[in-house]
Parts: sequence; C-alpha cells; structure tokens
Amino acid sequence: MIEILRLYTKDKTHLDRATMTTHILDDLKVNSARLLDVIIKCEDIFGIIIEDDEADKILTIGDAVELIKKKL
Amino acid sequence: MTLPTAFHLRLQSALGFLTAGLLAPLYFLFMKFRGYRIMDLDKIRRQWAGLLKNHRGPWLICGNHLTLIDSIIMIYALVSLGGHIKGFQRLPWNLPERANFQQNLFMVILCYLSKCIPVSRGGDREEMQATLARCNYLLERRQVLMVFPEGRRSRSGRVDTENFSYGVGRFLQGHRDCRVLCVYLRGDAQILYGDMPGRGETFTITMDAFLPAIPAGQGLRAQRDLVGQIVRRLAQMEEYFAQHREKPGTD
Repeated sequence: MIEILRLYTKDKTHLDRATMTTHILDDLKVNSARLLDVIIKCEDIFGIIIEDDEADKILTIGDAVELIKKKL
Repeated sequence: MTLPTAFHLRLQSALGFLTAGLLAPLYFLFMKFRGYRIMDLDKIRRQWAGLLKNHRGPWLICGNHLTLIDSIIMIYALVSLGGHIKGFQRLPWNLPERANFQQNLFMVILCYLSKCIPVSRGGDREEMQATLARCNYLLERRQVLMVFPEGRRSRSGRVDTENFSYGVGRFLQGHRDCRVLCVYLRGDAQILYGDMPGRGETFTITMDAFLPAIPAGQGLRAQRDLVGQIVRRLAQMEEYFAQHREKPGTD
C-alpha cells in the first residue's frame, strides 16, 4: 500500500512514518482526486473492484488495507 | 435523497424565483458597473437557448476555472436578464466553495437565492454524499448544473488535464441522458488565476456541447474516463482559443 501511495504523495517523507491510522488526505496531503487514482491502482494491482460507497469510506491507510484484505 | 432535502431544494428554487425580479437586475448592474463585456454575447445566448430547446435536460455545464466569479460571468453570458426572471427554473445550479463566501451573511443569502449548493473541498464524506444526492436529485429533475471539473482555479492559468476531480464523472455515470456543455471563458487580461477579473475586462467564450461516450469500464475508472473526456475537450478549446484569439470588441 505504501508503494502505491508513494506514486501519489508529493512529500514522500510522510510515508516513512506512516502507520495504519495515517489519514491519506490530511496526513499524506494526497488530494481527493489522487486518492481515487490510488484506489484505481489498488484495483489494478490486486485484481479487485472497489465500489463508490466503499471508496468513500477509505480515509486511512488501514481502511484501504482492510478493504483490500476483505476483497482478496 | 430524503424528502426534507428535496423539499429544501424546491423551497430554495421557489424563493430564488420570487426574488429574481429584484436580484437579477442588480446582478446585471454589477456586471455593467465592473465594465465587463462579453464578445458575441447575443450569439452565445442564442446558442444556449437553442441547445436548451433541443434537449430540455439534464445538462451539466463544465467550465474552465480561473477566477472566483467564473460562474457568475458564464451565467450572465448564457442567459439574458429576461431569461433570469422568466426562465428562472432553467438557470444553472452552482456548486461554489463554501469557504469563499461563508463569512459574509449577505453573500450566504445571495448565494442561496441564486441556486447555489455550497461545497467544502476536502470536506467530510457525509457532506460530500449529501451534496452528491442533491445534485443527483436535480439532474433527475432535468435541471442544469454548473461545475468546474478541475475542482479549483487553475494555478497555471491553463486547463489542468492531470489534477481534475472525478465528482463530475459520478454525475454523468448516473445520468446517461445528461448532456455536457463545455464552456471556455477567458478575459483578455487574464494570465494566471485570480479572485476577480479587472474592471473593464473583455471576455471571450467558446462553447461545445456533447453527449459523453459511455466508457468500457465501471466504477471509479468509468468516472475518470467521463471527466477526462470533458477536461480534454476544455484543453482543446483552450488550444483553439489561443490560436484564434480575437482582438477585444464589444458585446
């Protein structure tokens, strides 16, 4: 997940101390449009489909990881 | 969409209609006071009226975004004073950034009566869902919605084809009959983004109406594709504008 986020995070140093509770928009400063790119990238890499409602609930790295785990 | 929300939108529209006779002339007076002029104004209004006649709705007007009053200028360019009063129901709904006017009570009331639905960029998901629900309700009722797919004023002064918002794609995904009117607006003196265009500014507007192609993918990917179609079109319009820019004239 961190490697996917690395593609869309401007200040990569934030990722060095990222945890499951790190907020993607607030802490990593990934904007909401890029967050959707992150989610689409997750779909591609993990071969899953994430619905709009599910995407709307992804706020932290942990939310994304849990959702991906559930889908695999 | 809950019944109270639908009721509030209809109430907002009704109050806007009742006050349009007073506010619309003030709005047009403001444009004259600032000395703003639109090139080929009559032609633009005729074009938009013709498009509305051919397709009653829903419509999504998608503009480029350089100043805080782009939507005001675009609506002024599209609809005459008489149209503002007599055809209030056909005026576009707007989604202005809440932070831009929330501190001023007068502006809050003015925006409410001018068919605005405030949004908070980066706001919480519940608020975003509520806004989406309102917009979907309006599109279901074949209304006209004005949005800026770039999501914010372009920092480079050019249409940003990389960092656009996907929200517009979500509207289109749910309303396959929704037509899109791309509007490219630029003042002669506008180089980068700003708050207000300078006094006496002359604007050029180009428009392009189309029905977005249905993407092969689903979900977020389809939304990205749909909004991508719009942003690329705006970028092409910008290129065309740069190549065919006319000398300032009068409206």
